[in-house]
Amino acid sequence: MKQKDLILYSGLIILGLAAPYLFSAFKVQLTYLCVLIVLAMTWNLQGGEMGYNSFGNILFYGLGMYLTASVQVGMFFPLAEWTESGGEKTFVHTTAQYFQGIGVGLLVAAIIPALVAGAIGYAILGLRGHYFAICTLGLGIAAGEIAGGIEIIGAGQGFTTPPFPAEIVDPEARGKFFYFTSFIVLVLAFIFVKYIYGSRFRLILNAIRDNEDKAEAMGIQTMKYKIVGWMVSAFFCGLAGGIMGGLIGYIDSTDVAFDGREMGVFMVLMAILGGKGTLWGPIIGATLFHFFKEGLWTFILGWQYVALGVLIVVIVIYFPEGLMGWLREKYPERFGEVIDEKDRKSQVELK
Amino acid sequence: MNKIAKLFITFISAVTLALASITSSFAKVEDGMIVLGSAISLTGKYSSNGVHTQNGYNMAVDRINKMGGVKVGGKSYKFEIIYYDDESNPKRAAQLAERLIKQDGVHYMLGPYSSGLTKAIAPVTEKYKIPMVEANGASRSLFTKGYKYLFAVLSPANQYLEVAIDLAVEKNGGKPVKIAQAFEQDAFSQDVRLGILDAAKRTGSKIIIDDKLPKELNDMAATLAKVKATKPDVLVVSGHTKGALTAIRQISEMKVDVPMLAMTHCDAAKLSKQHGKKSEYALCASQWHKNLSYKDKFFGSGKKYDKDFKKEFGYAPPYQSAESSAALLVFKDAFERADSFDRDKVRDALKATEMQTFYGNIKFGPGGQNVAKPMILFQVRCKGDTCENKVVAPTKWASDKFFHPIPKWSERG
Repeated sequence: MKQKDLILYSGLIILGLAAPYLFSAFKVQLTYLCVLIVLAMTWNLQGGEMGYNSFGNILFYGLGMYLTASVQVGMFFPLAEWTESGGEKTFVHTTAQYFQGIGVGLLVAAIIPALVAGAIGYAILGLRGHYFAICTLGLGIAAGEIAGGIEIIGAGQGFTTPPFPAEIVDPEARGKFFYFTSFIVLVLAFIFVKYIYGSRFRLILNAIRDNEDKAEAMGIQTMKYKIVGWMVSAFFCGLAGGIMGGLIGYIDSTDVAFDGREMGVFMVLMAILGGKGTLWGPIIGATLFHFFKEGLWTFILGWQYVALGVLIVVIVIYFPEGLMGWLREKYPERFGEVIDEKDRKSQVELK
Repeated sequence: MNKIAKLFITFISAVTLALASITSSFAKVEDGMIVLGSAISLTGKYSSNGVHTQNGYNMAVDRINKMGGVKVGGKSYKFEIIYYDDESNPKRAAQLAERLIKQDGVHYMLGPYSSGLTKAIAPVTEKYKIPMVEANGASRSLFTKGYKYLFAVLSPANQYLEVAIDLAVEKNGGKPVKIAQAFEQDAFSQDVRLGILDAAKRTGSKIIIDDKLPKELNDMAATLAKVKATKPDVLVVSGHTKGALTAIRQISEMKVDVPMLAMTHCDAAKLSKQHGKKSEYALCASQWHKNLSYKDKFFGSGKKYDKDFKKEFGYAPPYQSAESSAALLVFKDAFERADSFDRDKVRDALKATEMQTFYGNIKFGPGGQNVAKPMILFQVRCKGDTCENKVVAPTKWASDKFFHPIPKWSERG
């Protein structure tokens, strides 16, 4: 690793670790930011690198949310009784039970969505282009409606996740716990995605994006790589969902868990805003988007979705390649692209 | 890469500076103001009811401020509310509650609209020990969790339509009835359903159709087709404003004949105005009606509230507005009795609330629900082309007799 990179990364890590103390009042927003970055970064693996625009990653996010909460409750108490009539019977987790539960829950929330992604991917990753996008869009919507009918996880009543243990009196502890959990997931996801960026795997994903038939003709088993790529995304989406479920404290089937209309669209939007197909693009996109949303939305009460619509239009028209793509076009030399001035001029003259 | 890294670092530090400069939060009581916080649905599926709620809050704030404000420690304070739009989304509501408390320094909260959103906010207010008086979260499960800082001025959701089943049985000569029901898949409507299940069990009635309706509700033709085929004695529908509107629209389009139709949210949907004669005979559960004889010194009677509200906002107040206004009366009363801004003292004062408002009597049970006020049922009745809601139950308040059964569509003009 180069020295400058080292400075950058250690700086970011220190900032990340210090953030909840520096901006104590913003812990929840910071946790959201970490989760949004994870979602955008992993969506970018499909949408950006592989060229498969998935609207279905919200499925894994919601699945992770329900799984974490269910495991956390189910490990110690009968789940059906917990959710029956919306938590009529109240059980209380001890401190140890709470953390054991959420730990195991998050593990399950990572593995099962990854397996589900494998199974669904096997079935539908043969679809290409719009067909794949529409199919995945349906997945998220269907999951929401199905979850809204399953009694054991609360159905339409919603699922109240276990409250943070009352024995921990510090009211800041909950915020810190969720922030650091999400920060760890963010760091893990970043390391993993960065590793992928330096590997042959990324080149294969790019080959699939640029010309899938040719890639196949070259002897690459594209299906295998497509499925693995989706499983990686699902793994981290599940973790992100699990954290969010605990943080929000209340899971609703269509509005919180399988929230395709918001989270599902946001993750795509953030990746495109920053520049899909780049390592830093989704991160910058998510950060900007989150600040835009938190900072501006309260000033335009009731009109924020109109503003969001305008933002989408602006991005699509003026920054079709995202901020990173725009910068790259403007300052190609900063991205390590060498431009031969003579050659460029001669091309212009030819026209 | 290095250049991008530099750019990124610049960006991050800019953001850090910006954030650090706005971290300073303002206190809850300042310059003679008591600042309350509320996340309200201004957009999304609950937007119409969210606005009813907000109008109710604003009306009460204006009135209380004009009539001398809140007197604490010999000084007069005025109410002020910080609103955020929760987009009818529980996730957003929970986040905004956190923001109101942590960043805006709000120490007292008013509830959002709907049970689902209240369920999402209550754990947050509970965590920070922030007293919340809510007027629009009726789900029974809110009051069984042992929340200490949650107070609801309304009756729990399971009580909404239980009385309607009793009425149906009574009209059937005391014999059990056949019930068809369709409920939206959300916390509130599912609780109304639980109430019906209890009532059915109690009266030995049979539920022959038990459908779920989606949240973005605009079609229930499948349920109505079944109703046409099975001929139940009573049809129960609950799905907030959209549920009420959809039900009336499609029942009249499909000419579904059913002897009794019981619903929720008729007045919030302005049913008698929007659908006129088509909505006649619909039986509706309501927390409040202007003809009830409750009184207080701020709004006078229900009729006066109705008049003042119409003047201010241009439409008749649905019960969502009335109960929201009542929430502020409760807060004012509690502040004055506590004579302090200590949160726990205010909380204890809220707990001991026992008062009458134009909206009804208010006294909180152990779970925080209002136990002093019964639900009422009204029926839409028309004279010529103008339709009105007439109270038919309980008998103490009834202004009209309950009309049963609903005439067949072929006989209706």
